[in-house]
Amino acid sequence: MSARGHRATARTLAWLLASACALWVWWGPAGRAQAENRVTMRGQYYRETSTRILQPQVTVTADAPDERLTLGAGYLLDAISSASIASGAAQITGGDKVFHELRHEVTGTVGSRLGEWTLGGFFRYSTETDYISRATGVSVARDLLQRNINLAFSYGLNLDRWYRIVNNLGVRQPWCGGAVPPQGCHKDGLGVGSNFLQVHLFGLNYAHALHKTVLASFHVNYAHQVGPQDNPYREGLLGGIEETHPRIRNRVVMTPSVRWAIPKARLVIEPFYAFYVDDWGMRSHSPELRVHGRVARHVLLRGRYRYYKQTGAFFWRPDGQYVDGDAQCTRAHPENCATADVKVMPWDSHTPGVQLVWEFDGIARHKGLHWLEGGFVEVTYNHAFQHNRYGNARIGNLALSLAF
Amino acid sequence: MCKDGRARGEVAVVFAALAAITGLASGCVTVTPAQREQLSKPEMNPATDIAEDVWHGHIEAARHGAMGGHGGAGGGCGCG
Repeated sequence: MSARGHRATARTLAWLLASACALWVWWGPAGRAQAENRVTMRGQYYRETSTRILQPQVTVTADAPDERLTLGAGYLLDAISSASIASGAAQITGGDKVFHELRHEVTGTVGSRLGEWTLGGFFRYSTETDYISRATGVSVARDLLQRNINLAFSYGLNLDRWYRIVNNLGVRQPWCGGAVPPQGCHKDGLGVGSNFLQVHLFGLNYAHALHKTVLASFHVNYAHQVGPQDNPYREGLLGGIEETHPRIRNRVVMTPSVRWAIPKARLVIEPFYAFYVDDWGMRSHSPELRVHGRVARHVLLRGRYRYYKQTGAFFWRPDGQYVDGDAQCTRAHPENCATADVKVMPWDSHTPGVQLVWEFDGIARHKGLHWLEGGFVEVTYNHAFQHNRYGNARIGNLALSLAF
Repeated sequence: MCKDGRARGEVAVVFAALAAITGLASGCVTVTPAQREQLSKPEMNPATDIAEDVWHGHIEAARHGAMGGHGGAGGGCGCG
């Protein structure tokens, strides 16, 4: 990273830390934790052969004055370093160098619990060099049968704008997908000649306490995406042909899961399965098992194993041979498609992981440490053995959360 | 929903099977508030994993063909 980039990152991190401290000083002296007000700081890390992501994050939620109105705010920074050709490293850096990028994300949330009803809403704005995303959503949930059942519905809308960096000076132009030539692509408006991607996301969740030690849930998501969904930087991997994916995608994922507590063993067993299918011809199966163990009164240890397997999209070709064309890629005309995207190729992965949570309630009983009540520190590590060109990935997470 | 007929069939079959299992399993079971000691523990609360799921959802959006149902902003993170 350049010295300027280092300074910018250091300034942002310092600002984050100062903001978190200021919030803590502001609300902290209120004394013993009473409500659900909470500040959480997270540091997340992702590393694979050619890409590294550092992601500090701070979130604050506060009841105003109680659960009938809960307000929240969050800030997240994505610091991405990549040497991958597919990330545009060669174009952006002017050579075969590591490419750095920052993504800033701010989120505002509002929630309300009114008897058996829970309402929520959010707005999120995310910006980076070549991408702007605005997302909003609402949710409503209802407790039924003496709170044995919870039924929730959510709707989210993403309104995104794509760009691509065209030289090492950072000049950018709108990206409307590989089938639209640059002169026909506009940074406003809707439709084929615009860089606008919209996503409608519907969610339905059903949770049911089946027994005093068993909680079952079933979640289904449907997403409808319209707009450019190909990467502007992969022509180097395609012999000079622009990557071209279909503009429309319909996606469904269904996720049944169970949490089963075994009190004598201080264990919770959590089997989890996700089945995904879309109209690009892709399917994935993802079984997962989590075992939560309370190894001490205030210490939780969790082990995790996840297997993930996906098929390829209808337009993916094993030989990687595509033809250049300016027509839209559709199921009726797959000859117009071209891809070098690992996301639409068949591959699988194995991900073991471990998490340790230390709840501060134990030490909060000591004199002068009452303010730690309800707080915790959480450390997580996952290792993804990915059978694709990205190779294996290391995924870490450190969180500190304090109630006030 | 999906234009692919096979995909539509698979979604319908899986959805119906899971709905049937859930319906049969639920029956008339009622757990009273006094019996909820285990259910109230943090490790039994799916909400405790939300932040972690959002982070994994972000990774999956950049790496997987499937979506995790987590939402997540961005997508043009330049790490493809």
